[in-house]
Amino acid sequence: MTATTLPRRPGWLAGRATGPRLARHTLTLIALAVLVLPLADLSVVTRDPWATLGRMIQGLAWPDVTAIESPFHALGLTVSVALWGTLAGVVLGFPLALLFARSRLVRAGCAFVRAIHELFWALLFLQVFGLSALTALAALAIPYAGIFAKVFAEILEQTPRAPSDALPPGVGRLSRFLYAELPLAWAQLAAYTRYRFECGLRASVLLGFVGLPTLGFQLETAFREARYPEAGALLWCFYLLIATLPWWSHRRLVPLLLVGGAFLLGPWPAVDGGLLWRFVSQDLWPAPLLAGDWAGLADWFASVPDLGPAIGHTLLLALLGTVGALLVALALWPLASRHFGHPASRLAGRGLLVFLRSTPELLLAFVFLLLLGPSMLPAWLALALHNGALIAFLAARHADALEPGMPGLPASGRLAYELLPRVYPSLLALLYYRAEVILRETAILGMLGVSTLGYYIDENFQYLMFDTAAFLLLVTAGLNIAVDALSRRLRPREVPLEDPCLR
Amino acid sequence: MRWIAASAAALALFTQGAAADTFRFTAIPDEDQSRLVERFSKVADYLEEKLDVDVEYVPVKSYGAAVTAFRNDQVQLAWFGGLSGVQARRLVPGSQAIAQGAEDAAFKTYFIAHESTGLNAGDELPDAVEDMSFTFGSRTSTSGRLMPDYYLRQRFDEAPDEVFSRVGFSGDHTRTISLVEAGTYQLGAVNYAVWDAAVEDGRVDTDKVKVIWSTPTYPDYQWTIRGDADERFGDGFSDKVREALLEMDEPELLDSFPRSAFIPADNAMYAPIEDVAEALGLLR
Amino acid sequence: MSQPSETLVTLDGVDLGHGDRVVLPQVCLRLARGERVALLGPSGAGKSTLLAALRAQLGGVVAWCPQHHGLVPGLAVYHNIYMGRLAEHSALANLWNLVRPLRGPWGEVAELCELLGLAELMRRPVGQLSGGQRQRTAIARALYQAREVFLGDEPVASVDPHQARRLLGLIDERHTTSVIALHQRELALTHFDRVWGVRDGRIVIDAPSDTLTLADLDALYPDAEPHAASDAAAEPALPSPETLPCSRGRA
Repeated sequence: MTATTLPRRPGWLAGRATGPRLARHTLTLIALAVLVLPLADLSVVTRDPWATLGRMIQGLAWPDVTAIESPFHALGLTVSVALWGTLAGVVLGFPLALLFARSRLVRAGCAFVRAIHELFWALLFLQVFGLSALTALAALAIPYAGIFAKVFAEILEQTPRAPSDALPPGVGRLSRFLYAELPLAWAQLAAYTRYRFECGLRASVLLGFVGLPTLGFQLETAFREARYPEAGALLWCFYLLIATLPWWSHRRLVPLLLVGGAFLLGPWPAVDGGLLWRFVSQDLWPAPLLAGDWAGLADWFASVPDLGPAIGHTLLLALLGTVGALLVALALWPLASRHFGHPASRLAGRGLLVFLRSTPELLLAFVFLLLLGPSMLPAWLALALHNGALIAFLAARHADALEPGMPGLPASGRLAYELLPRVYPSLLALLYYRAEVILRETAILGMLGVSTLGYYIDENFQYLMFDTAAFLLLVTAGLNIAVDALSRRLRPREVPLEDPCLR
Repeated sequence: MRWIAASAAALALFTQGAAADTFRFTAIPDEDQSRLVERFSKVADYLEEKLDVDVEYVPVKSYGAAVTAFRNDQVQLAWFGGLSGVQARRLVPGSQAIAQGAEDAAFKTYFIAHESTGLNAGDELPDAVEDMSFTFGSRTSTSGRLMPDYYLRQRFDEAPDEVFSRVGFSGDHTRTISLVEAGTYQLGAVNYAVWDAAVEDGRVDTDKVKVIWSTPTYPDYQWTIRGDADERFGDGFSDKVREALLEMDEPELLDSFPRSAFIPADNAMYAPIEDVAEALGLLR
Repeated sequence: MSQPSETLVTLDGVDLGHGDRVVLPQVCLRLARGERVALLGPSGAGKSTLLAALRAQLGGVVAWCPQHHGLVPGLAVYHNIYMGRLAEHSALANLWNLVRPLRGPWGEVAELCELLGLAELMRRPVGQLSGGQRQRTAIARALYQAREVFLGDEPVASVDPHQARRLLGLIDERHTTSVIALHQRELALTHFDRVWGVRDGRIVIDAPSDTLTLADLDALYPDAEPHAASDAAAEPALPSPETLPCSRGRA
């Protein structure tokens, strides 16, 4: 046999197999991020952050539990808002999921409600329902309904067709759904709902930042006023809550938690129809528009912040955050996977992931702000670490469910030949889902002076200029819908999402 | 029996929101917002005793939320900052500023600088501050944003964005101090009362950060009551509330704000704040 | 050889396949009432395509037992079998049946399960059953439909030969006509009237089973020929350059 008959050795990352294709895809993504990097303001100004950082670390190391005001009520309310908010999201989202594939209107509506961050929904409902559980539940339930509708629809679409095909002819739509579709999707639907509940817990804490008395209420104040031992104690409470989630959220305990939680949610506000109507019919609309004053409307538009730079900053930060999250996830997931290291290292790895994904981005961002000075860099790092850790956690869980075909490979071989090829496609798919979330989260990092759209929305809520805020929310939602459509197009297609939580 | 008691308690909890004749107030102190409910419930008890109606404290996080609660009649009395008080009185016609802290008639803002800037205290802001980095406090704070912004424009005839290389909003006075102390921002604007308290408690390293300029005085925090309070709680109710506030002399209660005493106030005192806010586009 | 009286289906030069892809071109076949047909052929030859075409033509008279069973793992054995008659009840009854089994169907299904050795397993989710138990559940679901014609795609692939005979016996008892795809050549000769043999997209055998021998049937399977295997190995292996780096993608 001569050398000419041998197949040609492939070049760098050449070929049509999934591995090299995804590698090329990833490198393109990273190259794109590097290309736009010069546009971002990434200057580092550091002088002496250590005094403040030292106090923060000390606070985390020696938390002061006694400083917390009614910790059990705050914990209970956090859980109960997340639980009822998620439940309401399921109740609203499930019927929409059934219409999702058929109705463009439903799809657009869901994309719209998903696009607005929970905090902004809370700020909107705050105007009508005041600081009450109703505001908190609506702020969670409405965006979650949009998310559930989309994900449930995708899960149902991917259920195996065989049982449905095996049915005798003439079976009604409802009976077919109840017997040959729903039971097949049930496990995935339940798993996704559980995952969303964890997201709900984080969001519930975050709602404290606008004043609802969850854990975040005291956390934000303590942190803002530099009472670090108290902030540390609250953070530890939250880490423990997240780390012990698999135990206390057992299926049998959920009804008990629901009933118990319902008592914590009260007192319910008396909903004032007049307020609601005033808000919807007047506050949200530019006054000149309502008066039919077209010249005034032009002035109104002139008072709206410059959209160009705001959209530019938002997209830039979202792209950098997404690529950063990918790199962080790739680096961190093996730390928490059962296939690598020893029990102690895995415990540390899991702890690190809980720490990174449960610490609100705003707190992470503040630490980096102290370390690196004001620029886009702290916001980027905070987004990348937080979301990267979340993806890493899901990737590690995915890997733990896999059984290597060839036991006894060295760790590097296990990573490169057994696990990464199977984990990476879904990791990348998850990243594209997460891009939407990252775009939403750029909004709440306005504190760093990065003038994203969210920065201006927050500003206008603070100035009580709801019409401008509403207009900017519409722009944000439009942007989000566009990015979502784009990421759906770019996302590697043939990837089957076995784990529903990878969404 | 225990069962019935629990149900009754739960029922009370649920119906609480509907009770109409409770007088509600809110307050956000300019520093130390820990244990708000515990501290202000004592103020509520004091007012209850003086006013002969049920009084409840509603904890609120931000001035924006406080204004909204006031506008929506979820609270009838509020301890506002200068700007939020103006916002609230514009949204609820007929509402009145009735009292302010003894310290609030002549409030001021300190401009602070990190030692690396080499700046020293003086009678006006030095030209050297141009092109340094600068942070305000919260965006709607009178002492952390509105007045420093106004005096910066007066001094340099330019918006802060143009004067400084970078402008941030730390979100809070304490945080402004931390950020300037750490050198993250070279300059900052901070509520004088918060600064003095931090220096007194040794929470700030004065070798690293110091005051370089103090603004002229302006009116700030005040109590504002809704115009329809008399109608709902009886004639002369607003005056009774004012009396009760002015007579408050227990340090334990006053420390919550923290003020040494309350003195009378009226809407007209806040006209300058309103003018500045309008000029800056924070009010329309 | 006398032709059975009545024709149920005739395929006369029809192209069978999925969408645009033709798997079995120009098929000519006839299925008569009362006939029991064994369908043989190597995997991927087109047996399932042929059965699907028969099912489509026969419509409501067919009890269908698909390949890989098409069971719902999350539902109990009872509910999976009940699905055979899902169309005969209202949606509300079907819903209630999930909450608590209806009295009538429960009795009927219990009888069937007794016959198939599933009586103890009626409440167990199918996901927890062994391969053979699932196979019997799938057959029970087809039997429960109580139709005239049984179409089965390898319904006895994962049970032992004795059980296979017993199951085929049950199917024969309850259906006048049947077409069953299978791999056991001996069973094809002993339990069926007729054999259809498919290879490479063509019907190569269509004959009464008593005229055929095992050797005739072996001709359907290329790997069964002792010479063919060595011939294939002797051919020089020349994979195209693109296929090599892709091998992982096929796993």
